[in-house]
Amino acid sequence: MERYLEFKGIKKAFPGVQALKEISFRAEGGRVLALLGENGAGKSTLLKILAGDLSADEGDIIISGKKQNFTSPFDAIKAGVSVIYQERQMIPAMSVMENIFAGALPKNKFGFIDKPRLKREAQEIISKFGLSIDPTTPVGRLSVAYQQMVEIMKAYRRGSDIIAFDEPTASLAEAEISILFKIIDELKREGKIIIYVSHRMAEIFQITDDIVVFKDGALVKTFVTAQTNEQELIRAMVGREIGDTYANLSRNTVYGDTLLEVKNLVTKKVKDVSFTLRKGEILGFAGLVGAGRTEVVRALFGVDKIISGEIFLEGKPIAFKSPTEAVAAGLALCPEDRKEQGLVLYRSIRDNVSIPVLSKICRFFFLDRRAEAELADNAVEKYSIKTPDTDKIVAELSGGNQQKVILGRWTSEKMTTRILILDEPTKGIDVGTKAEIYQRVCDFAKQGIGVIFISSELPEVIGVSDRIYVMREGRITGCVDRADATEEKILSLAMSDTAVTDGGEAK
Amino acid sequence: MRKIIRTKMFALFLLLAAIVIIYTVLSDGAFVSPKNIRNILQSTTVVSLLTIGAGTLMIAGHIDLSLGGIGTMCAMLAAYLLRVGVPWYIALIAALAMGGICGAFNAILVNELRLQSFIATLATAAITQGFAPIISQGKQIDIYDPVFKFLGGGRFLNYVPYSLIISLLALLVYGIVLKNTKFGRGVYLIGGNPDAARLGGLRPKRISYALFINAGCLSALAGILLAGRLQTANTVGITNSQFAGITAAILGGISFGGGTGGMGGALIGILILNCFNNGMTVINVSPYWQTIASGALLLIALTVDFLSARRRLKT
Repeated sequence: MERYLEFKGIKKAFPGVQALKEISFRAEGGRVLALLGENGAGKSTLLKILAGDLSADEGDIIISGKKQNFTSPFDAIKAGVSVIYQERQMIPAMSVMENIFAGALPKNKFGFIDKPRLKREAQEIISKFGLSIDPTTPVGRLSVAYQQMVEIMKAYRRGSDIIAFDEPTASLAEAEISILFKIIDELKREGKIIIYVSHRMAEIFQITDDIVVFKDGALVKTFVTAQTNEQELIRAMVGREIGDTYANLSRNTVYGDTLLEVKNLVTKKVKDVSFTLRKGEILGFAGLVGAGRTEVVRALFGVDKIISGEIFLEGKPIAFKSPTEAVAAGLALCPEDRKEQGLVLYRSIRDNVSIPVLSKICRFFFLDRRAEAELADNAVEKYSIKTPDTDKIVAELSGGNQQKVILGRWTSEKMTTRILILDEPTKGIDVGTKAEIYQRVCDFAKQGIGVIFISSELPEVIGVSDRIYVMREGRITGCVDRADATEEKILSLAMSDTAVTDGGEAK
Repeated sequence: MRKIIRTKMFALFLLLAAIVIIYTVLSDGAFVSPKNIRNILQSTTVVSLLTIGAGTLMIAGHIDLSLGGIGTMCAMLAAYLLRVGVPWYIALIAALAMGGICGAFNAILVNELRLQSFIATLATAAITQGFAPIISQGKQIDIYDPVFKFLGGGRFLNYVPYSLIISLLALLVYGIVLKNTKFGRGVYLIGGNPDAARLGGLRPKRISYALFINAGCLSALAGILLAGRLQTANTVGITNSQFAGITAAILGGISFGGGTGGMGGALIGILILNCFNNGMTVINVSPYWQTIASGALLLIALTVDFLSARRRLKT
């Protein structure tokens, strides 16, 4: 009987979002099918439903004619589904062979683990994959790539018919990728159904047979890989209009002198990044999740260690050893993860607003409570934060109001912020508040503040920024002026292997 | 938030009052005799200093289990120095400094080697505890120095121990510092969320060093005051008061999770604990049962802490 995997009308909603809207498609045995789409398009949600981690609100999964009803990952494994996530799910202290046979260790007649047989059978699988790993090595001692191989072997040992890969090459080097591709080819020849999620265009054309494109939770189009090209795929992934929100923003039009200049910055995750920021300019940073944008600003802010490169603030060389120094020099960071890194959740609005200016509201050694309350009151009024009073614990505020507390912190009258760094400032925030935040950002620019605006949402980063730097795998792959920016252009810079610099250098 | 603390403080007061009333009735008034009240106050000294040390660290999200060991070793060091003829002030300063060094050692383990403070300070506890008998060659060292005796056992108006005044003053000063200075606010903020505090421009590492060193010095002082009162430094020292210090902090509303509580609550926690323990002696509960009851009290304190943390997470 032929093998296939079919999704039929899968729907899934999370509070406030329809993550998947009636997804239906079919993957055939012996072929590799790519899932393609921007961040948040719904690929991961679908994989989680396939793995039994999430259950669909509506719709069916059919495997080779049989309707499945997964209520747990265990059900999915039993039905022959293995999903290989980016984070490995293995026991590092156990050996390779024990991990491959986890849950099905061969036993001898006394009921103990049959070590010789375990080793023999594991060796067989390892040889079949053409690898040279000692089956008794603890998995924790292997490189990331080989750990992934072990996970694939585990899926193979289970006899999984369906193997799904979630961005498997994200952490692999070239040589390791070619080993992985050889293994995928081998699995394909055995008639397995392979699902492959990746953002790398070159790979998709190299190893997949079919492509399904997702956008905003919906399936846009399916392609046969051999009959399409990069441009067509990117158009399918984007294909939406930028709304009026951005057209109506009141922007800053006069830029001052160069405020910040970064030259050949290198850190563990950032490779040779150079850019400039002028006073009153909003500099967008686009790219896929994990492209290194957050790491660039972390290095600027004195969090991550700088390996080499130079940074100039108004012409003076700087290298902050801690965020304290960065804040003192007039940098401000609204981090990506509001709750984990931005706010002290179980403290009041007041306590959160005053953090960077505590020494400025001290009289002798004591905090001036009245000055502190005034600071918080002003922030609440300026940003129309919805709260009865500034005593309220920030954990009890909505996401939008929490973000406003952080903005209030960095723009209070006691601060002299020169560079404001916003890392995904509108993540998880409703549409109305988003528009409010965009206008605030433009207002900061009008005051002569240089803004670094990181966002994974293309319409937003194009709509708000004056210039957009695009990053991929730790490097800047291009810089685009807002006038020339299109989602297609930015997405191809964010995903393509060929780096195109398209004008837009600061004059 | 302020409301919750107020009601919590009120509940603690009620508990304290209930304990006092119950024991007074059960003991036919012996519990509130001047002599017994003095006993309770006397026993508050060592615990107070340990509670300040442990409590400030807990507010900042750490824990220190080595305070008993450090205090015991430092008191032994002071007694040894006195015996070999060192002047009292040098012996005192050296012992306090040694406490600070041990605290710095803990801070290095936690901040530089990134060990969990629970585990790191457990190791320090064993090490310091082991050094005490090494310094004294396994024996106790008697103290004849009048200043040490005065500090530990002297009484104002022949009633209030000076050591009690020292520890109450310390509670007051630390309470004010915690609530009203930049440093104190930093302690709460890093206990609430160290990452956010750091990205906001604070220096969590410095604060953590300061707190560990401070706790080391305070436990050295506690050890010295006890040794001065007993006129001898022995190898047990203040070891048994360590858990009392932590229990009192938790009873007083300083959460294991960090970021909450204060010295006012801690003082009530200390009084609850001491009244509870002292009362059992007064009404002649067997010492074996006393130990069990102390354990039960800690368990109750932890349960309340856990339940209130869970309620906090739900909102």
